[in-house]
Amino acid sequence: MYEEQTKATDRVGRGRAIVCEGVSKCYRLYDKPLHRLLDGLKLGGPRYKEFWALRSAYLEIQSGQTVGIIGQNGAGKSTLLKLLAGITLPETGKLEVSGRVTSLIELGAGFHPEFSGRENIGLSCSILGLDAEEIERVTPEIIAFSELGDFIDRPVKTYSSGMYVRLGFAVATSVDPDILLIDEALSVGDEHFRGKCMRRLNEFAEAGGTTVFVSHDLGAVRQMCQHVVLLHQGEIVSQGPADQVADAYLKRVKTIGDERLSFSSRMGGEYPRWGSGEIEVVSVDLLGGEGLPTRVVTPGESVTIRLGYQVREAVQKPVFGIGLYRSDGTYLNGCNHDWRDHPIHLTATEPGESGEVDLALPALPMHQGEYYLTTFLYDHSKPSPVAIDHREHVLAFQVVDPDPRQHGLIRLASAWAVRRTFPDGKTKNLESGS
Amino acid sequence: MDLLRSLARHRALLWDFVIRDLKARYVGSAMGFFWSLVMPIVNLLVYMVVFQFFLRSRWGDPTSRAETIAEYGDDAIIRFIPRGSGGTEETALIMLAGILVWAAFAETLSRATNSLVENANLIQKVVFPSQILVPYLTLSSMFNMLIGLPIVLIGVIYIDVFGVGWPLVVAPALLVLQCLFTIGVGWLLSVANLYFRDIYHLIGVGLTVWMFSTPIFYPAFLVASSKFYLDDTPDGNGPYIPFTWVLDLNPMYWLIHSWRSILVFNEWPDWRLFARLAVVAIALFLFGAWAFERKRTRIPDLL
Repeated sequence: MYEEQTKATDRVGRGRAIVCEGVSKCYRLYDKPLHRLLDGLKLGGPRYKEFWALRSAYLEIQSGQTVGIIGQNGAGKSTLLKLLAGITLPETGKLEVSGRVTSLIELGAGFHPEFSGRENIGLSCSILGLDAEEIERVTPEIIAFSELGDFIDRPVKTYSSGMYVRLGFAVATSVDPDILLIDEALSVGDEHFRGKCMRRLNEFAEAGGTTVFVSHDLGAVRQMCQHVVLLHQGEIVSQGPADQVADAYLKRVKTIGDERLSFSSRMGGEYPRWGSGEIEVVSVDLLGGEGLPTRVVTPGESVTIRLGYQVREAVQKPVFGIGLYRSDGTYLNGCNHDWRDHPIHLTATEPGESGEVDLALPALPMHQGEYYLTTFLYDHSKPSPVAIDHREHVLAFQVVDPDPRQHGLIRLASAWAVRRTFPDGKTKNLESGS
Repeated sequence: MDLLRSLARHRALLWDFVIRDLKARYVGSAMGFFWSLVMPIVNLLVYMVVFQFFLRSRWGDPTSRAETIAEYGDDAIIRFIPRGSGGTEETALIMLAGILVWAAFAETLSRATNSLVENANLIQKVVFPSQILVPYLTLSSMFNMLIGLPIVLIGVIYIDVFGVGWPLVVAPALLVLQCLFTIGVGWLLSVANLYFRDIYHLIGVGLTVWMFSTPIFYPAFLVASSKFYLDDTPDGNGPYIPFTWVLDLNPMYWLIHSWRSILVFNEWPDWRLFARLAVVAIALFLFGAWAFERKRTRIPDLL
């Protein structure tokens, strides 16, 4: 089922690097470990539930191509990558991979924390299949590329996560593969090193290497890949030129976001919630540009966050607030309707009252990514506000940027101007308002 | 067999893992490699004190010896009874030889059982020949044992009762058989542990039971001369169950007995025990390899 030719000959014009014909992967899920044992001993059963991580995938990748695989979490991207790497075997179907494969699925897998970087290079290369002579040849290259300096002879446990990844990347790409499998591992490390990694990947592609790149970051996939494969719930739903598939992806993300909506607006309680409870925040909605509930918005879209509340007991001075966080916990913004030039005062709330609170954000300034909301409801009648209903992480949403033009945390309204003065004294002004 | 061939193909990697493991034992410790020597020497001294002053060991116990010989005839002398006077120094050396061999075996098994789980990171993230894990753990423990065994030899030369001689040429064969036996059992346990993680906990208990049912801290003839009487008022004539079956079923006893013969008593091992050991070790190794190979491709999914 899985064929591998270890030695790379000339890469150019070798034809197909990867061929999948009806490849499926099924995982067996057991409720209890005991069930797995009983099934293993063939005592009755079967007791497992089947989970098809990948269903009859047909895929053909020409050598020299850079192919992107996109899809939501759990779409089967990593499973496909593991199959291509030969880490697991497919349940059914035929999988042919020709050439030496290196996966950047996890950088620095197998590093031993007590050993120095240099010692770990030796063993990692050995795991990747290099012999002693080759290891000796590539070690100086790896050390130079990783830019670890004196740290190379210190134990890996003393490394920062950035240093660890740098060494891992340098090792993984040193083996001169024909096919490179990348699983979003590159998102770590500083800007300088990321650039260096990108250069190495570009060199690799220019030299005729085949790259398979897995991500849910549409922008990155679009930048790097001519050919994109879209996975959804274990199936390849679309593949073709990057732009075409990217559009299909965006549409899908929107629909999925909306499907999830009905479920998540019922407000599950997996995140902390506290407060005295006189007033309850009973619903939180994110309304997109068209005024309809959504979970996927685009940068610059005008959105409204709508809270529904119900009063159980009278409170003197309740104030609603909303906190906006990036998925990694970075606090982007927090505001309420009291700390304003023209505050709103909610006086004389009575049991039985209910209502809605809107926070309108005319142009969402965030870039592509995942974000969440926390709602605050505090009694401001006391010197330090007291929580009435504080709900962490009540609503998660995604910002998807079909055409990313800025980098970093937020989108800034910007204008560019260039004033040129030519040797003959003439001047020319160039401006870009948006 | 595919598995054995792949083992040969990955021998360089296997070797790297062994070296790394040996280094890892001492990395960061000031005395490093020296600890491998300290452990057996301290053990030796402790046994001498404990068994001379506190327990007054019965290794030389004449009654039990006589009973055993009466029961099993000349056979007993080969199968159960150590030569020599049973003096303190001898006893300590006999025990040390046993404990070194047992420690290598037990350490490997307890590590091997969890080896696949512990290296899940490697197995699930890179193409990794998981079959080398148990062999590398075995070889690493064997090297450690080989550092300790010369101390036994030095002790034997020092007490100057048995001397050191030709039987030592059997040592490589015993090493190989011990490796095969340990690897075979290790492979079986490591795969079984994927299906039933409790095996990792069971193996700790199991090894303790196994250790005390193996004559390491007591002489084998005490087992041979003991009986479990079935009637309520044992007068020595009623029906009884002998304990010798414990020895007859225990490959670790055959192994340790053989090691002691060549290391301490300077005599050739009992060839019947040796042959039995060889058959069981090779059979278990092949069976373990077969079972591991059958499940090998599924291991990444079972983790």
